[in-house]
Amino acid sequence: MQRSPNDLSQLQATMRAIEVACSSIQMMVNRAEAEATILSLCQSPQPYQACQYILENSQMPNARFQAATAIRDAAIRDYCLCYVMQRASSPEGYVQAKVSAAAAQLMKRGWLEFSAAEKETFLSEVKQATLGIHGADVQFIGIKLMESLVSEFSLSTSTAMGLPAEFHDQCQKSMELEYLKTFYCWARDAASSVTNKILDSDSPVPETKVCTAALRLMLQILNWDFRYSKNGLESAKGKKNVFSAQVGNDNNLSRRSECTIVQPGPVWHDVLISSGHIGWLLSFYGALRQKFSCEGFWLDCPLAVSARKLIVQFCSLKGNIFHSDIGQMQENHLLQLLSGIMQWINPPDEVSKAIESGKSESEMLDGCRALLSIATVTTPVVFDQLLKSISPFGTLTLLSALMCEVLKVLMVRNAEEETWSWVARDLLLDTWTALLVSIESGGETGLLPAVGRNAASNVFSLIVESELKAASASAFSDDMASDYFQASASAMDERLSSYALIGRASIDITIPLLTNLFNERVARLHQGRGITDPTVTLEELYSMLLIIGHVLADEGEGETPLVPKAIQTQHVASGESEKHPVVVLSSSILNFAKQSLDSEMRASIFSPRLMEAITWFLARWSSTYLMPSEETGESNSGSCYDNNHMVQSSVSSKAFLIFGEHNQGKSVLDLVVHIATTTLVSYPGEKDLQALTCYHLLHALVRRRNVCVHLVGLDSWRRLANAFANERLLFTLYSAHQRSLAQTLVVSASGIKNPEASNQYVRDLMCHMTNYLMELSSKNDLKIVAHQPDVILLVSCLLERLRGAARATEPRMQKAIYEMGSTVMNSILIFLEVYKHEFAVVYLLLKFVVDWVDGQIIYLEAQETAGVVNFCMRLLQLYSSHNIGKISLSISSSLLSEAKTEKYKDLRALLQLLANLCSKDLVDFSSDSPETPGTNISQVVYFGLCIVIPLISLDLLKYPKLCHDFFSLLSHLLEVYPEMVAQLNDEAFSHVLGTLDFGLHHQDMEVVDMCLRALKALASYHYKETTVGKVGLGTRAAGSKDQNGQMSEGIFGRFLRTLLHLVLFEDYSTDLVSAAADALLPLILCEQSLYQRLGNELIERQVNPAFKSRLANALQCLTSSNQLSFTLDRMNYQRFRKNLINFLVEVRGFLRTIKILVLFPVLFVCKSVLQTSRIQDPGRILFEKIYPKQVK
Amino acid sequence: MSDEEHHFEHRADAGASLTYPQQAGTIRKNGYIVIKNRPCKVVEVSTSKTGKHGHAKCHFVGIDIFNGKKLEDIVPSSHNCDVPHVNRTDYQLIDISEDGFVSLLTENGNTKDDLRLPTDDNLLSQIKDGFAEGKDLVVSVMSSMGEEQICALKDIGPKS
Repeated sequence: MQRSPNDLSQLQATMRAIEVACSSIQMMVNRAEAEATILSLCQSPQPYQACQYILENSQMPNARFQAATAIRDAAIRDYCLCYVMQRASSPEGYVQAKVSAAAAQLMKRGWLEFSAAEKETFLSEVKQATLGIHGADVQFIGIKLMESLVSEFSLSTSTAMGLPAEFHDQCQKSMELEYLKTFYCWARDAASSVTNKILDSDSPVPETKVCTAALRLMLQILNWDFRYSKNGLESAKGKKNVFSAQVGNDNNLSRRSECTIVQPGPVWHDVLISSGHIGWLLSFYGALRQKFSCEGFWLDCPLAVSARKLIVQFCSLKGNIFHSDIGQMQENHLLQLLSGIMQWINPPDEVSKAIESGKSESEMLDGCRALLSIATVTTPVVFDQLLKSISPFGTLTLLSALMCEVLKVLMVRNAEEETWSWVARDLLLDTWTALLVSIESGGETGLLPAVGRNAASNVFSLIVESELKAASASAFSDDMASDYFQASASAMDERLSSYALIGRASIDITIPLLTNLFNERVARLHQGRGITDPTVTLEELYSMLLIIGHVLADEGEGETPLVPKAIQTQHVASGESEKHPVVVLSSSILNFAKQSLDSEMRASIFSPRLMEAITWFLARWSSTYLMPSEETGESNSGSCYDNNHMVQSSVSSKAFLIFGEHNQGKSVLDLVVHIATTTLVSYPGEKDLQALTCYHLLHALVRRRNVCVHLVGLDSWRRLANAFANERLLFTLYSAHQRSLAQTLVVSASGIKNPEASNQYVRDLMCHMTNYLMELSSKNDLKIVAHQPDVILLVSCLLERLRGAARATEPRMQKAIYEMGSTVMNSILIFLEVYKHEFAVVYLLLKFVVDWVDGQIIYLEAQETAGVVNFCMRLLQLYSSHNIGKISLSISSSLLSEAKTEKYKDLRALLQLLANLCSKDLVDFSSDSPETPGTNISQVVYFGLCIVIPLISLDLLKYPKLCHDFFSLLSHLLEVYPEMVAQLNDEAFSHVLGTLDFGLHHQDMEVVDMCLRALKALASYHYKETTVGKVGLGTRAAGSKDQNGQMSEGIFGRFLRTLLHLVLFEDYSTDLVSAAADALLPLILCEQSLYQRLGNELIERQVNPAFKSRLANALQCLTSSNQLSFTLDRMNYQRFRKNLINFLVEVRGFLRTIKILVLFPVLFVCKSVLQTSRIQDPGRILFEKIYPKQVK
Repeated sequence: MSDEEHHFEHRADAGASLTYPQQAGTIRKNGYIVIKNRPCKVVEVSTSKTGKHGHAKCHFVGIDIFNGKKLEDIVPSSHNCDVPHVNRTDYQLIDISEDGFVSLLTENGNTKDDLRLPTDDNLLSQIKDGFAEGKDLVVSVMSSMGEEQICALKDIGPKS
C-alpha cells in the first residue's frame, strides 16, 4: 500500500506516543497521562491504519499489544453490523449467529455512551429489517439480532466484558424499561405480517423461518427476569447484587417441573392482554394444525413447537399485569388460553389412542404443561370453574380423565424405559400437587369442590391399580436399586406424597378401597400358603403398605406429626369410632402384622422385605395415631377452623382416640414391641430390617414421654431390656444397631416417675457391661487375648452400647450414666494403649468419650470436672504419643488412603472432645457456687489444642468436616479467651495465625465467617486493653524485627491488609459483609495510621477522576457518617455495618474491574483466567503475585 | 441373671488359633476378614437380597493386608465368616543389613533378625532414608496367618 510521506510521519508520531505511554506505564511515571494516550487510540474513529503501522513496525511488545486491542474493538464496531445485514441470505446460520452476537456485544459496550439519536439510527435500521421491507432474509436477520441483544442484555446470559457489574445492571435496566416492549411489538408485527403467506401456501416458504424466529424472540422476552417494571417501588432492588456475579432468581413459587411464573407488570397490559394478541396466537396455531397433514408441516416442526411454547408461557402470566378486579380479568385470560389448548388434550381417550398409534406426543405434553402452569397461578375452585363456562364438565374432571388415560397406558405398556406416559404422569401429578398443596397447607378455604373429590378418587383408584400392577410385574426382577428399602422408599417418596394428597382428598371412598384391596391380598396369601409361590402377593402388599403409610400419616421429621388435616376435617358418615375408615384400615394392618409373631407364619409369609415395609409402616403410623397426647389434639382442632369444621374434626379425632392411652393404645403398643423384638431376634443377619427397627420404629416409640410411661411398664419391654443386658443373642446384631438399642432403652427410663428408680434402671441395664470391660482390662494376659478377633468384637460391641447409653443422657438419668463412664475411665486408657494399632477400636474409644463428656460435662461438680478433665488430657497425650510422627507403610494405595481417613476421623473426634469441654464455661448446672475454685477450662482447652494442632496437617484440612470443626473450635477459643493468645509460645502462636489466614481465604463461607469472628475478638480485645493503658497482646501486635533486622508488620496490620483486599476485590457472599464489618472496625481502630495510608493508596490508583472522587467520598463516609465514634460498643458496630454496606454498594461496582483494566497487559491474562476457569484459584494466585508489586 | 454371666467370658486358651468365626452381618468396614484364605482388611460392605423376598447377603470387598490385592466375597449374612487374628508388635530398629534383612530389638532385650525388608522400592526407601538420617525408628510389625510384614514406622526423635 502506498502512503504519502505526510501520512507516514503522522503514523510514526502516533507510534512513538504509544510506545512512550507503554513504557511510562511500566516505569510507573505519569500513568494517568499515558493511559489517556492509549485510550485515545482505542477510541479514535478509524484506528486501522495507525494500529496496523504499529503492529508492523514497533519494536515494543507492549505497544503492539495495545494496537491489537484497539484494532479488535474498532473492527467489531464498524464491521459486524454491515456484514450481517449485507449477507442476510447466506446459508451459514452459525456464522451469522456468531456475528450478530458480536454486534450485540459491541452495542452493549457502547450502550451507556451512545446518545439517544445514535441508538435510534441503529434501531431504526433493525426495525426496517424486521418489518420485512428488504425481504424475508433480512427480516429474519433483524429478529435474530434482537434476540442476541436481548440475551446480551439479560444478566443471566450476558457475556462478561471486563466491565463493572454496575454497567451490566444499568444496561439491563435500560433494556427492560425502554426497549423490551418495543422489541416485543416488532417481533409480534413481524410474525403477524407473514402469517397469511405461511397459511396460504401448501409448502414451507422462507417466511416460516421468520415467523419461528419471531415467536422464539417473544418467548425469550417473556422469560426475561423482570425486575424494574414489576413494581415501581421495587426498583431499588437493582442495587442488590454488587457482591457476586451471578444473579439469584427469587422465584420461590416455581415448582419442580419447568414452570416459571411470568410477572412483567402493568405496563405490559396493553401489549399482552388487551390487544387481542393471544387470540391471534391461538387462531394462528389452530390454523397451523389444519396444515399438519400437508408436506413440510408437522406437530414437531420448529414453528409449531415455538408457538406452543409461547402459548404455555402465557398460562403462567401473573401479578399486577392484570387489573385488580377480583381476578376476573385473569380468569378470562386463562379461559381463552384453555379453550385453545382443549384441542390438544380433549377428549383424552382419543388423544392417547392417537399417540399410541404413532402420533407425536409433544402437543399433548405441552397441554399438560399448560394445565400445570394454570394450576400454579390459580386456586382449585377457580381452576375447576374455568372450563365450566364452555363445556359441560369442569377442569378437574378433565384433569382426572386425562390422568386416568395416562395411567391406563402406563399399565398396558409397563415399560422399563421412560415413555411419554411417564412424563405426562409426572406433569399431571405435579398439577394435582399444585392444586392440593394449597388446601393441605390451610391457606385456602376448605376442601376441593365435590366434583373434584370425585375426580380425585377416580384417579386414586387407578393409581393404586397401576402401582399394584407395577409391583406384581417387578416381583421377580432382581435389580439392585429397588431391593434396598431406604433407597427405593425415598426415590418413590416424592411420587407417593403426591399420591397421598390425591388419596386424602376423599377418604370416605379411597380408604375403604385400600382396606378392601389389602384384605384381599392377605386372604390370597392365606389360601395359597404352602401351595403357590407368594412372591407376587408379597410384593403387592409391600407396595400397598408404602402407599397406605403415606396416605394415613405424614413424615414427622423429628416433630410429632399430627393427623393430616385433610383426614381430620373430612366428614365421614359413620357413627361409631370402630367404623371410621381410618380405624378399620389401621386395625386390618395391625392384625396382619400380629401374625408375624407366629414362627410358622413367619417362615411362610413374612419375608424380610415384607417385614421392612411393616416396620416402616408401624413407625410412621405410631408417631401419629398411637397414644396421641389428648390436649394437643383438642387445641389443634379448636383454633383454626370455623364451627362447622370443628364439629367434624372432633368427630374424627375422637375416632382416633381408640388408639389412645385409655383405650386400645396399651395393647397395640405391646404388639408393636413384640414385633420389634421379633425382627431383632428372629431375622438373623437382616441388617436393613434391623436398622429400620432400631432407628425408625423404636426411636419413634421413645420420642414421646407419655408413651415411655407405658413402655417401661410392659412385660415385653422388660424382656427386651433383660435380653439386651444379659443375653448373648443380641450381640449378633450389627454393632451400630446395638448402640441405637442401648440409647433407646436408656431413654425409655425417662418414663419412670421416680428419678432414683430411673437411675437404678440404667444401672441394671449397663452394670454387666462396665464390669466386663473392667475385668478384661485388668487381666494379666490382656496383651495376648486382646487381639483375638472374638475379644475385639465383644469390646467393640460393649463400647458401642456404652456410647449409645451416653448419648441418651438426660438430667433424670445423668447420675447413673456418669457412674457408668467414670468406672471405665481407667480401662479406657488401658485399652487405648493395647489397641493403639487397631483403628476401629481406638475410634470407638474416642467416640465414647466424646459423647459421654458431651452429655455429662454441664452437670458435673467441681471435683468431678477435675477428674474428667484430667482423664481427657491423659487421653489426648496418650493418643498423641502413639500417633505423632507415625507413617503407615503399605503397598496398597487404598489401604494408605484408608489410614488417612482413619486419622481424620480420630482427629475430628478429638476436636469435638475439646469443644465439648469448652461448653462447661458456657452452661453449668452444677451446684457449685461460681466462687468455688474449679478447673480453668480455658487453660485446659488451649493445652489440648496445642497437643492436637501438630497432628493436623493442611492435607487433613481438606476434609470439609474436620476443617469446619477445627475452625469453629479455634474461633470459639479466640472469641471467649482472647487473653490466652498472648500467653502462647511462638510456635503455637504462629500456627494459630497461619491457620486464621488460611481460613480467611477458604471457599467455605462458614469457615470465613468463623475466622472473621475470631479476628474481631482479638482486635477488639487488644484495642480495649490498650485504651485503658494495658498491654493487650503486647509485642505480638506491635510487630517485631526478625533475625535479619527487617521490621515485620504486627498481626493487626497484616490482617487489616488482607481483610481490606478481601472486602474490596474478592468474590464473597453478601452474608459475610456484617461479619467483615465487625472485624474491620476494631482492626482499623488498632492500626489507624496504616489504614489511612492504605486508603490513600487506593485513591491514588484510580485514574478516572469521577471514580477517584467517588472513592474518596465513600472512604470518608465509611469512617465518619452515622456518628461513628471510637468506641467498640454494640451501637457503634451496627453503625459501622451500615456504613460498610453503603460503602461497598457505592464502590465495588467499579473498583473490582477498573483495577484490572488500567494495569499491565499481563493483568488481562489474569482476568481471562479468572473468568474462564471454573476454579477460582489459578486466577487468584496470579493476581496475588502481581498485586503486592502494585501496592509498592 | 448370674447364669448368663458366663456368656461374657472368653476362651483363655484360644491364643493359638489363626482365625475365628464371626457372623457375616456383624463384620464392619475397617474390620478384618479371610477371603480365599488370605487375611484382608474390609474396605467396603454392602448388603443385598437373594431375590426380592429372600434373605440378606453381604458383599465384601477386602484388600489383602500383605500384598495389597483386592479380593471380593459374597456370604449370606446369617452365616459365619473367618476373621483372621492380626497382631502388631513394635520393635526398635537396630540395623539394616546388606542382604535385605532388618535387625530389631524386642521388648525383653533380644534381637529379631528373621524379618525381610519390603521389596517395594518406595517402602524400602522410606525405611532406609529414615534410618540413614540417623533417626530413632520404631517399626510396627504386623503378623497374621503365619506371615509378617512391617506396616508402620514411627520417628521417636534423633539418635542420641
